[in-house]
Amino acid sequence: MHRIVWLLVSAVGAAAWGVIALRRGETINAAWVVLAAVGTYLIGYRFYSRFLARKVLGEDPSRATPAERINNGRDFVPTTRYVLFGHHFAAIAGAGPLVGPVLAMQFGWLPGTLWLVFGVVLGGAVQDFVILFGSMRRDGKSLGQMAKEEIGPLTGGLAMVAILAIMIILLAVLALVVVNALKDSPWGVFSILCTIPIALGMGFWMKVIRPGKTVEATVAGVVLLLAALVAGRYVAESPTLAPLFTHGGVTIAWGMMAYGFLASVLPVWMLLCPRDYLSTFMKIGTIVLLALGILWVRPDLQMPALTRFIDGTGPVFAGKLFPFAFITIACGAISGFHALVSSGTTPKMIRRETDARLIGYGGMLTESFVAIMALCAAAALDPGIYFAINAPLSALGGTVENAVLRIREWGFVVTPEQITGLAAMVGESSLLGRVGGAPSLAVGMAAIFSGVFGQHLMGLWYHFAIMFEALFILTTIDTGTRVGRFMLQEVLGHIWRPLGRTSWYPSSLFAAFLIVAGWGWFLIQGVTDPLGGINSLWPLFGITNQLLAAVALCVGTTLIIKSGKARYAWTTLVPLVGLLVVTLTAGWQKIFAADPRLGFLSHARDIAARIAAGSQDAAVGGRLIFNDRMNAVLAAFFMTTVVALVIASALEWLAVTRGRKPATTKEALYVETAYAK
Amino acid sequence: MRNSGRLDGWTAGLGTLLSLLKRVCGMPDYQGYLVHMREKHGGGAVLSEREYFEQHMQVRYGSGVSRCC
Repeated sequence: MHRIVWLLVSAVGAAAWGVIALRRGETINAAWVVLAAVGTYLIGYRFYSRFLARKVLGEDPSRATPAERINNGRDFVPTTRYVLFGHHFAAIAGAGPLVGPVLAMQFGWLPGTLWLVFGVVLGGAVQDFVILFGSMRRDGKSLGQMAKEEIGPLTGGLAMVAILAIMIILLAVLALVVVNALKDSPWGVFSILCTIPIALGMGFWMKVIRPGKTVEATVAGVVLLLAALVAGRYVAESPTLAPLFTHGGVTIAWGMMAYGFLASVLPVWMLLCPRDYLSTFMKIGTIVLLALGILWVRPDLQMPALTRFIDGTGPVFAGKLFPFAFITIACGAISGFHALVSSGTTPKMIRRETDARLIGYGGMLTESFVAIMALCAAAALDPGIYFAINAPLSALGGTVENAVLRIREWGFVVTPEQITGLAAMVGESSLLGRVGGAPSLAVGMAAIFSGVFGQHLMGLWYHFAIMFEALFILTTIDTGTRVGRFMLQEVLGHIWRPLGRTSWYPSSLFAAFLIVAGWGWFLIQGVTDPLGGINSLWPLFGITNQLLAAVALCVGTTLIIKSGKARYAWTTLVPLVGLLVVTLTAGWQKIFAADPRLGFLSHARDIAARIAAGSQDAAVGGRLIFNDRMNAVLAAFFMTTVVALVIASALEWLAVTRGRKPATTKEALYVETAYAK
Repeated sequence: MRNSGRLDGWTAGLGTLLSLLKRVCGMPDYQGYLVHMREKHGGGAVLSEREYFEQHMQVRYGSGVSRCC
């Protein structure tokens, strides 16, 4: 019986891939992409993850997990696997899987689809699962601690610095996505601003008025949020109120920095905790809604499978299909950041060892599925509209008329009426050059939801999608700034003891200030960049995220080899080598490429030449040159750090496989589970 | 009599659903905690709902909650 089911799943998956392969040159329905993806996920889960669990990691149904042994009713709590799956998924999935596939759409929908589906089955889900399993066997140790204990103290230190630096780039680029979605949009700014008093009210309710009543506060919060969304339309249409909420990118960027600083030093009950609940509710609700919407509407993919921009001349970001498709899409295919979550709260809550497979491997497959849906929503847009929204204003020539001509040169037909009409429909003054992925995804989602509920609500859906993305990006910003602050305080504590005390206010304020200044600097750089910022910052983020994945896979390989399973080390080595090739090539190109659109250094030289020729303002140009050099140094720093980590790990692997070191790891001792009976 | 039995069943079902939802979203589940204390620790002293909420927040956010992009 089981065999028949799996044969059917394989047949449907293979048929869907067949349709995708054969229908080149005509439009294809999103349903085929979804079917092919889901078929592959199921096969990967059923066969590959079982192989990983049983042969490679050696899961043991009789072994008690830390949650069972320590069970303290607080962080170590045995949790039913479906609940923990939901919990883990809510922690790993955010804006990343929604934005990356939209940006990578400039290559067409096929490269993103292939990378998301096969990347996750062979790479991303393997990374998450192996790290989750390793951490579970070590009482929930973090990635940094495992690197330190299993590879060496130097490696642990390097990993820590890399994580901190990656966090700063991540926060900057996500903040930039929000700024680009909110600038000159009174509707968006008003509804997002409303989330702050709503969260404060919820926090006050849960802490003071009815302590611990989280669900009623959150439900009230969601209702108020939707009310703010509806009210936003009246604000945007009111001649007196609209100007109060219409701001340029730089103002919004400073506002976000002030918010991030305050949110990371205020007590958690005021902002952080209520926002966390609110965004988790919204996240799960919207993702389910999007999945149902796509299945209901089953839109045709308007974007070609491959565009001419695979040659690297695309307006959204510079660089060829290889390696930049693999950099642009990180979350959803393989995301190093997940290693931090997989070695955080989740491993302390696993009830049985055999549950780790569903939570680690299955959770990541689900994130990939979210990315596939975002990809379908963006690919269902008219390509002309896609480029009108996602190409920077400077590449489009500034006005609607110029943009139409430019887009026609790129080979796509769009009329001025289409562009202005769409902007009016979603309640924005203009959609041209709204880079960052969020606005075009919001248009795609609004089109799908309108297909279900009717066209007249398009504006509401658009702003719903914007608010939903901004809400959890802002949640990432306050949690991220706080985590960054703790990490920095730990490092600073080594220099001067009192700086390491997280409960000492001056130290907390100082560390929070440094973290916000760090990401704020990159954010302002992105906002004031004539090319829109996403162009240079998103690849930098992709490179850092993938390099963190390389660190995680190094740790994973070490765990596998040290547990005496060197013959299975290819399961993590293959994705590791793939990632190193991709990220080191991309990093090298971003630093040294001769094309000033692509290479940081050649861009700096280009600006210098223009200053010398008098066609560029010296003060602005000087700042751009400094930014370029800074980005180049940063990319070089990440690359050297990771190469050093890989070498240190490889030496350790050789020592073990050559028999110079015993193949032992620092796992917690075996205790038999009581759940098996 | 039969009706109230059904009502109890419904309330219990709703309670389970609510408790699932809370745990998925990472919220404190006070009822679950009470059950855990009763079954595992023989009904000794328990925290009040306020204390439990405070402790839960401290554990979840005290050292910074890691979540992804």
